[in-house]
Amino acid sequence: MAVSTVHTVQSLSSTCSISNPTKSHLGFNQKQLVFFKKTTTTTRRATTVITCSAGDTVVIGLAADSGCGKSTFMRRLTSVFGGAAEPPKGGNPDSNTLISDTTTVICLDDYHSLDRTGRKEKGVTALDPRANNFDLMYEQVKAIKSGVAVEKPIYNHVTGLIDPPELIKPPKIFVIEGLHPMYDARVRELLDFSIYLDISNEVKFAWKIQRDMAERGHSLESIKASIEARKPDFDAYIDPQKQYADAVIEVLPTELIPDDNEGKVLRVRLIMKEGVKYFNPVYLFDEGSTISWIPCGRKLTCSYPGIKFSYGPETYFGHEVSVLEMDGQFDRLDELIYIESHLSSISTKFYGEVTQQMLKHADFPGSNNGTGLFQTIVGLKIRDLYEQIVASKSGAPLEATKT
Amino acid sequence: MASSFTTLNLNPYSSFGSASNGEINTKKKIEIKMNMISPPSKNGTRFKAMKFKGTRMREKQLTEMIEQKVVEANQVCGEDETSDECKVAWDEVEEVSQAKADLRLKLEKLQQDPLESFCQENPETDECRIYDD
Repeated sequence: MAVSTVHTVQSLSSTCSISNPTKSHLGFNQKQLVFFKKTTTTTRRATTVITCSAGDTVVIGLAADSGCGKSTFMRRLTSVFGGAAEPPKGGNPDSNTLISDTTTVICLDDYHSLDRTGRKEKGVTALDPRANNFDLMYEQVKAIKSGVAVEKPIYNHVTGLIDPPELIKPPKIFVIEGLHPMYDARVRELLDFSIYLDISNEVKFAWKIQRDMAERGHSLESIKASIEARKPDFDAYIDPQKQYADAVIEVLPTELIPDDNEGKVLRVRLIMKEGVKYFNPVYLFDEGSTISWIPCGRKLTCSYPGIKFSYGPETYFGHEVSVLEMDGQFDRLDELIYIESHLSSISTKFYGEVTQQMLKHADFPGSNNGTGLFQTIVGLKIRDLYEQIVASKSGAPLEATKT
Repeated sequence: MASSFTTLNLNPYSSFGSASNGEINTKKKIEIKMNMISPPSKNGTRFKAMKFKGTRMREKQLTEMIEQKVVEANQVCGEDETSDECKVAWDEVEEVSQAKADLRLKLEKLQQDPLESFCQENPETDECRIYDD
């Protein structure tokens, strides 16, 4: 009579193995469906155990135009879950993959259908969907999500070639990072949460100058030309994905300093979609209201140019969203802790967790402004989402123990 | 939620003083770290971490490719700025510039040669010869 609820419909044949243990044992991790068959004529109870990797992998998509593996965001995210993310041990040294105890981050460049030579021949940039194999991306993300390991190709950014594949085993959290995580509708369906990092043109320019000016081949002109040349494809193929994201981190120049064009002080907006399952947007003081907050004053002294927050409901591409915005930067620990203590629904497990996470990576870019703060908060939100999903899934087998 | 915190002692150091993992630094170090926006000096920290021939080779290769591809892009775009060839050429420049930056970042932030784990398993390969400056 004991039948537990099957919560996902999978093709059982590919991911499951069937065994008939002589002793009935109940190993209730989420991956086992246990069927009891009571035979009517004898007292002997036959137990058939079907072990399925029913997939408790949570898939996160991150759209960013900043390459893969360097991503500060990724390191912050994996750090929230604990453990450092490292490249796979002993494999291809040019692999873009990062693995920690709980998280695996893959770079979507690995799904290029055309290598550098191929793209040159066809006249397509890496931003163009024609340079990417979305069928393979979909198949493999689906497989990982249902608990099946895959042999994923490696795109080598040094040689520009597609290298032999590496084995990716299903982790607890699977992050797909790159230019097109939300481009294909089938892949979009697989994402439990998605983030788009939206860098404005002025800030992008400033960051690329910082990144490239020291290089022998580069000049202000070449950096500018590169951004301009890529812009049409970027606007056509990458930018439209932001309407699908559950959270958008928008990075803009500050409004606190007139004519600041160095991109050092930033105005960062965390745009959070309302109504997303397991995701409760961060808010300031009073959820759903509109707030403008300057924390610097009698209790907190800030140095120039100070810090300014705002929060409120908005519409974004036809969706209801809540926007939390920070303009300025912190340069002291107590500023950060003060701000943390006034934010609500940040999904921390203890007071000061955001500050502690920020300090752990104090040498990463964005550690003193909204980019680091919001990336850290999104990391905590993802942890919260993961725990809620796991809790909801483990509801089913527990029912079986009762009968 | 916010109100419950205002009654606590807001001395920022009292909650972290007992951190046993040593990750929380002294106040001065924190201030210095937080004020750092641009990456540290181009040469010193990076070359200290570079250990294997393979990494040195990659670094050199990427540097040369950046230079070469910028020249190419300027040439191709000089002929026709709106052509597909022009945007592909600058896309290549972006790709190798980012790859170089990634390598630089790994060396500076991790303070470790990215080939470290590969070379532990394959010490005999040419890439894993110890690089002597």
